[in-house]
Amino acid sequence: MTTLAVALFAAGIAVVLVSGTAALRFRRVYDRLHFLTPGTTLGAPLIGLALGLENGWSLATALILFTCFLLVVTGAVMAAATGRVAAQREGLLARESPE
Amino acid sequence: MNPWLLGTIVLLAGGFPLSLWMASRGSPVDRMVGLELAGVVTTLSMLGFSQAVGQTSYLIVPLVAALLSFAGALVFTRLLAPRG
Repeated sequence: MTTLAVALFAAGIAVVLVSGTAALRFRRVYDRLHFLTPGTTLGAPLIGLALGLENGWSLATALILFTCFLLVVTGAVMAAATGRVAAQREGLLARESPE
Repeated sequence: MNPWLLGTIVLLAGGFPLSLWMASRGSPVDRMVGLELAGVVTTLSMLGFSQAVGQTSYLIVPLVAALLSFAGALVFTRLLAPRG
């Protein structure tokens, strides 16, 4: 179980680092947001799964999985909010949208 | 050194300079993207560190960090929005 957990942990770290490096190569904020999304939607669950496998069914696992769930949900919301602000500042979107 | 601590160091050493670089260049919205990456890297690093040292009580820190970085990002989007 430990080998699988460590492999998942390494995969999660690799996803976060690769997505960050890919985001750095692009200048437009939309491209950066696009390439950063896998870090939260794939990297965080992989790391949470790895730590959960290592700890077994326990309160610590529940807390780890809840934290990773928060990262997945809030990462998507933050990316959407950032993209919306960028579009408003560039005049691509109405200032009062979607209110 | 156990694999959890090694992974945490790799994540922190590789991800944090990336986010600092992004957070220090470009327009304010570009910088905010770097700040969001820094929040994710920090939260995941603290999860790994808690596992590395075997202290489950430390898990409250990444939980609070995830919530606070989300709230902070929303505040920044509010402040960076153009005013009419």
